Amino acid sequence: MKVFLCFIFLLLSPTLFCERLVIFNWTEYLPSEVIRDFEKETGIEVKLSSYESNEAMYTKLKILRSKGYDLVIPSTYFVEKMIKEGMLQKLDHEKLPNIRHLLPRLTGLPFDVKNDFSMPYLWGTTVLSYNSEKIKETPDSWKVLWKSDYKNQVLVLEDMRETFSIALKSLGYSSNSSSPTEIREAYDKLLKLKENVRLFSSEAPKQAFINQEVTLGMTMSGDLKVIQEENPGIAAIYPKEGFTIWLDSMVIPKGASNPQAAHRFINYVLRPEVSLKIALELGYSTVNKESLNLKAAAQMKENPLMNPSEEVLQRGEFLTDVGRSLLVYEDLWQRLKVE
Amino acid sequence: MKGLRLVYMGSVLCFLYIPIFILVLFSFNKATFSTDWEGFSLQWYTKLFQNQDLLEVTLNSLWLAISSASLSTVFSAVLAILFFRFRLPAQSFLKGTLYSLLMAPDLVLGISLLILFLAIGLDLGYLSLLIAHITFCIPFCFLTIAARMQSFDPSILEAALDLGASQFQTYTRILFPILKPALLSAWMLAFTLSMDDVIVSFFVSGPSYEVLPLKIYSMVRFGVKPEVNALCSLLLLMTLVLLFLSHRLINSKEVR
Amino acid sequence: MKRLEGKFNSFLYAVCALWLFGFVALPFLAVLAISFLSRGYSDFVEPVFTIQNYLQIFDFVYLKVFLSSTYLALLTSLLCILVAYPFAYFLARSSERAQAIGLALVMIPFWTSSLIRSYALIAILKTNGFLNQLLIKLGLIDSPLSILYTDWAVMIGMVYTLLPFAILPIFSSVQGLSKNLLEASQDLGATAFQSFQRVILPLTSPGVMGAFLLTFFPALGLFFIPDLLGGAKTLVLGAAIRDQFLMNRNWPLGSALSVLLTLGMFLLLAFNSWVKKRVQAPEEEGAF
Repeated sequence: MKVFLCFIFLLLSPTLFCERLVIFNWTEYLPSEVIRDFEKETGIEVKLSSYESNEAMYTKLKILRSKGYDLVIPSTYFVEKMIKEGMLQKLDHEKLPNIRHLLPRLTGLPFDVKNDFSMPYLWGTTVLSYNSEKIKETPDSWKVLWKSDYKNQVLVLEDMRETFSIALKSLGYSSNSSSPTEIREAYDKLLKLKENVRLFSSEAPKQAFINQEVTLGMTMSGDLKVIQEENPGIAAIYPKEGFTIWLDSMVIPKGASNPQAAHRFINYVLRPEVSLKIALELGYSTVNKESLNLKAAAQMKENPLMNPSEEVLQRGEFLTDVGRSLLVYEDLWQRLKVE
Repeated sequence: MKGLRLVYMGSVLCFLYIPIFILVLFSFNKATFSTDWEGFSLQWYTKLFQNQDLLEVTLNSLWLAISSASLSTVFSAVLAILFFRFRLPAQSFLKGTLYSLLMAPDLVLGISLLILFLAIGLDLGYLSLLIAHITFCIPFCFLTIAARMQSFDPSILEAALDLGASQFQTYTRILFPILKPALLSAWMLAFTLSMDDVIVSFFVSGPSYEVLPLKIYSMVRFGVKPEVNALCSLLLLMTLVLLFLSHRLINSKEVR
Repeated sequence: MKRLEGKFNSFLYAVCALWLFGFVALPFLAVLAISFLSRGYSDFVEPVFTIQNYLQIFDFVYLKVFLSSTYLALLTSLLCILVAYPFAYFLARSSERAQAIGLALVMIPFWTSSLIRSYALIAILKTNGFLNQLLIKLGLIDSPLSILYTDWAVMIGMVYTLLPFAILPIFSSVQGLSKNLLEASQDLGATAFQSFQRVILPLTSPGVMGAFLLTFFPALGLFFIPDLLGGAKTLVLGAAIRDQFLMNRNWPLGSALSVLLTLGMFLLLAFNSWVKKRVQAPEEEGAF
C-alpha cells in the first residue's frame, strides 16, 4: 500500500511543483495544440475547466468570490457586468506588447473603453443553419424557424440572450432591449417557437445537425466547420433582419492566484500565428489584423462565415449588459422552459 | 409457466445490460461519431492514457473516495456502537437526522452544504468535497454496520471492561475485528457512492480539486465520443474487480 | 440499556452529534432561512424578509414544474414497480443459488455509475441509433422514431437507472413471506389470482412502498438524466432548483423549492410508516 502511494506521489510530483495556470473557458474553445505549445514554451502547466453559458460562469465565479481561476473568457455583456461589480483585476498593458496586433474595431469598445480589464480572444456570429438537402429554398430570415412545416425540427441555443435575440430581431427590436413590453412580446413569440423546437443546446448543436436530429436552427458560425466536415449538406445564412456579433474576451478575476501566468498567456494568444491557429481550428474569426495576411489564412479569407464582409456586419449587433432588466429576461427564460 | 418466468427475468436483465455492452463494444470502434462498426481499434484507450488532465482528475476522485469512505466508515462504526450499547441523550433527534439524511435527495444536500460553506467562508475544494462525501455516505455505512451488530452480544464488551480493559481497547481489540466484514462492506459502499457522485459534487466542488464524474458529465454533454466510452469501460471494469475482491474478502472472513 | 458512560464514549458521541448537527441539520436550517429572504441583484441573497418566494411557487410557472416533475417521477416509479415486481417475485421464489446469481446481476448495474449508464442509452435511442436501426430492420417501423430528446427518453433513462432500487426492497419483502401463508390460502380454496390479490400483495406492500420511495424521490432530483436525454426542453424540479442556484442566482427561490421538496418527502415517509403499521398489525394478531 505504501509503495503504491509513493508511486502515485512520484507520478504527480512534476505537476505538483510546476507553475500553474487555471483557465475557465467555454467547452472545447481552446485547441489542445495551442495549450501544449504554450506549456512547452513557458513551462507553465495549464489546467482547463469549462462552462456552457455565461450565466453559469458568472455564478460559479460569484460563488468562488472571484478566486480559483486565473483566466476567464466571458462574452461582452458579461465583461461589462463583471467590471461594474468589481470582479476583475486591471490588466498590465506593459506585459502585453502584442496588443498592437489587434483589430482596431475590436478594441476600445464601450463596455471596456481603454481595455483595462479585457483583451479580445475570438469573435464570431450567430447564424441560421439549415439542411440544404431537405430545405430547397434558401432561407433569408429568422422567421423561417417559426414555419409550421418544421415541427420538432428546430435547434435553439441554450443561451438566454441569444435566443431572446432572434425573437426580438424578428419583431424588429434591438437584441439589447430593456423594455419589459418588448421582452414580453419576444417571450410570447418564443413560446410559439417552442412547438418547433426539438432541443435546446449550446454544446451539442454539431451532433444534432450531423446526426440529422434537426433540420434547421441557430448555431455559432464556428460550429459549421465541424458540421460541414461530417455532413456537407448543411449550410448557413446571415438573416436579413439582423444577427448577433459576439466577442469573447480574456479577463483576469480579482482573486486569481497567478495573474503573471495569465498575462503571459494573453500575450501569447495575441500573436498573429496563434490567433490564426485558434480561429482556423475552431472555425471562428480572428481578432488579429496581421493574421489575415498570413499564408495559412488564405482559405479563411474567402469563407463568409469566418470572414464576413463589412456590409454583412452592418446588420449585426453586439450584445450589451441590460442592467436590471436581466431579471425580466431570466424570469421569462425560466417560464419558457416550463410551458 | 416456468419458461415464461425465465423469459421475463431474462428480458429485464437484457434491458439492464445491453446498453452497457454496447458502450463497451463501441469503445473499440474505429469510427468517431457514427454507430457503424468500422473495425477494431485500441486508439481511444491510448488517447485516454495520454490525457494528463483526465488522469489527474481520476486520481483526485480515487483519493477522495478512499479518504471519505474510510472516515465515513469509522464515523458510522462509532455511532453504531454507541447506539447499540447505550441509551443516548437526544438519540431520537440524531436517529431522525440520520434517517432524513438517508432519504434526502442529493440535490438538497448539495445546496445546503454549498450555502453553509459560503456562509462560513470555506473555499470550495478538497475539504468541502471531503466533508460533503463523508456526510452523504454516513447513513449507508451506518445501516450496513448496525445490521451486523444485531447479532452481537454486548456482554462480551462488559466482560472485557470488568477485566480491566479501557473503552478504547474494547473497541479496537474486540469489536472491530468482529465487525470487519460489515466494515468492509460499508467501506466498499461508501467508496462506490463517492466515486459515482455527480449531484452533490456538482454544487460543492471548486477548480482546485476536480472530480471525475463531473468531468465525464461535461464530456458527455458535448456529444458521444469514443474516448468517453473507453473511460467508462475502464471504470466499469474497476467496479467489477472491486466487487469481486470484496466478495472474496468477505467470504473468506466468514469462513474463519 | 444503560445510560451513556465513560469519558471516551461521551467524547465520541459529542463529535458525532456535532458533525450531524453542523453538516446536516444546520445547513438545512440555513436553506429554510434563505427561503424567506429576497434575492439580490449582484449578491445571492439580500437580508429582506419575504414570503414572496413561496407565493411565486404557487404562481403558475413553478407549480407547473412541481406538477410535471411529480407526474414524471410518479410514472417512473410506477413503471419501475410494474417491471420490478414480477422480477423480484420470481427471483425470491427460485432456488438459493439462482437467487444469489440473480441478485448479483441486479446489483452490478447498481454499482456502476448512473451517469455512464445514461450515456450508454444515448447511442441506443438517437435517430440513427441501435433501437431505430433494429426496429427498421425488423420492419416494424418505416422511418426512425425520434425518441431522444423527448420525455420518453427521459423516462426510459430514469427507469433504467432506478430499476435496481425497485427490485431490491420488493425482493426482500417477498423473501420474508412465509410459504405457509400461500399454502393456507390455497387450502382455503382461493385461486392463484385471489391469493395474490388478497394475501401476497397486501403483505408485500411495505416492499412496494419501499420501492416507491427509493425511486420516486431520486426521480425528482436526478437532473442530469433529463439534461442528457431530454434535450433540456422540459424543466424538472431538480433542474429548476439547480438553475436557481447555479444560473439564475435566485437562491431564495431555489431554497423555497428545496424546502417544499423536503417537506413532501417527510409527508410521504410519514405515510409510509402509517402503511407499515397497518400491515404489521394483522400479522401480529396471529391470524395464521
